[in-house]
Amino acid sequence: MEAYMETVILIVGFLLIVAGCYCLIRTYHLLKVIIGVEVAMKAVTMFVILAGFINGKAPLAQAFVITVIVIEVVVAVVAVGLALNLYRLYGNMDIRNLRKLKG
Amino acid sequence: MQVIEYTTLLVFAVPLVILLINILLPRQLAEKSSIGLAYLAPLVQIVATAAGLVQIAQLKQHEFAISWNLAGAVSVRFAVNVFSLVLLFCIGMVTLAAIMVANRTVPQKRAGFAGLLMMLIVGMNGMVLVTDLFSLYVFLEIVGISSFVLIAMFKSDTGLEGAFKYLVMSVLASIMILTGLAFVFMQTGSLQYDQVGAAGGALVGPGAPHLALMYTAMALMIAGFAIKTGAVPFHSWLPDAHQSANTAVSVLLSGIVIKIAGIYGFIVITNFFGRLPGIDLTLALIGTVSIVVGALFALRQSHFKRIVAYSSVSQMGYILLGLSTGSVLGLLGAVAHVFNHATFKSTLFTNAAAVHEQTGTYDINELGGLEKKMPVTSFSSLAAFMSTAGIPPFAGFWSKLLIIMALWNSGDWVFAAIALIASIFTAAYFLRLQRKVFFGKLLDKFAQLTEIGGSVKWAQIMLTVVTIAAGLLFPFALRYFGGIGIL
Repeated sequence: MEAYMETVILIVGFLLIVAGCYCLIRTYHLLKVIIGVEVAMKAVTMFVILAGFINGKAPLAQAFVITVIVIEVVVAVVAVGLALNLYRLYGNMDIRNLRKLKG
Repeated sequence: MQVIEYTTLLVFAVPLVILLINILLPRQLAEKSSIGLAYLAPLVQIVATAAGLVQIAQLKQHEFAISWNLAGAVSVRFAVNVFSLVLLFCIGMVTLAAIMVANRTVPQKRAGFAGLLMMLIVGMNGMVLVTDLFSLYVFLEIVGISSFVLIAMFKSDTGLEGAFKYLVMSVLASIMILTGLAFVFMQTGSLQYDQVGAAGGALVGPGAPHLALMYTAMALMIAGFAIKTGAVPFHSWLPDAHQSANTAVSVLLSGIVIKIAGIYGFIVITNFFGRLPGIDLTLALIGTVSIVVGALFALRQSHFKRIVAYSSVSQMGYILLGLSTGSVLGLLGAVAHVFNHATFKSTLFTNAAAVHEQTGTYDINELGGLEKKMPVTSFSSLAAFMSTAGIPPFAGFWSKLLIIMALWNSGDWVFAAIALIASIFTAAYFLRLQRKVFFGKLLDKFAQLTEIGGSVKWAQIMLTVVTIAAGLLFPFALRYFGGIGIL
């Protein structure tokens, strides 16, 4: 029964990462890019919990996960701040505005 | 308590105290004094690491572990070896140069700049000193977050664009590294370096299990750290971010951040898992492709900072080649090249700042003949270029020689040959840069041009002296490493 749970969590995690990356590829909206990345990040925290569950070090894994969540929030805040400043500059959230630097 | 313990204490305490003072000072005063105060952190770091290196030479031992027993409950463990002391020295040197440049190129938000810089120093020092993979990841994120804000804080359109591209790539790198860490944790039950090392050691030798989990973890972590390094299949963010940032921030990013955030991760991975089949070949291939493609891209740019940024991609390839050998000689060559790259890449970005401050442009097609008007900038740029290209008396020659010798010793003569031949490309793109910017006839519009003064000039002089001295004194450095039992 338990092995069944682990496989399910692993598959759901991979699906979430694929969903996040698909969102990253298909969208042209800055906030949706950030949302896609955050979805993928959530899947990763699930992997850490799964790892702690499998090797019997659940308290250590929980400590890791709480730290990761804090880091994620800071990254999300910085990302949304950048998106907000880009919105003020261009008037929309289209990622195709970001074409000044190339070559 | 030994000197070396004070070293690890100081490199954390001083930047944090300066950060606190920076926050507590009244705003007007902080704007005026923060850059001056910030000089203290790299100066203390340089002196402390130099003292640590001297003590290592006296004790003839090169590994130290230091525990901080905080309130008896939590024990934080840091370890220092001779290579991490060299990296700490590089951090101090590059941040000193960056602050000297920032004194001129950062007109406003000086308090914010200084505060973020202190965060960046704490993050990088932490990465080098910690002894478990999860703390390494936490400090990696501190470095990343400070870098995004430093690139974007002046709110130019290109700055925001470069920062956003860097952020998205960097979060992808974090996802890969953290998934890799989760898999390693699943296998070993701990992320402490010694236990991870033991688990890695159990995977080599006859009859060792081929664990798909560990190989997946290695693939993910190599990809993640390659994004952070800017190695070639993953390099797209690097020129954009380094070009668009304020030049003082470019000095930091190209001079030290990509090496601590990326290359140090590779040093840790190769330390534990370098003998797994396939890891060395992967690193060597990434390195070779980086060298060649980075140099070819650098040849067709016309933006001063963009050429230098692509040059960083190319030089990171040499460091990865050195690490791919898995031998002590290769590691020594890689760390020596980290040091040399830190000096000459900071010099070149400082030159870019000087040229932009005096002429108002970064476009090399609009420049010409600056040699007569800006002799210090011209000479330091030439010295940095010769060191990058590996011309004998300069420091870059020795580190490239060590890397190629290590490759030859481990039988990878194909990679050694490619590394040798690709030096010609390095010479090509920098000769193009030098010829267009500094040599030739002085354009009429630059008749009134003067040499840059103040701290930027002194940064150029300091870095050039370090480049030339490191080249001339390199045999003594090798004797030093031999004396403590590394070679």
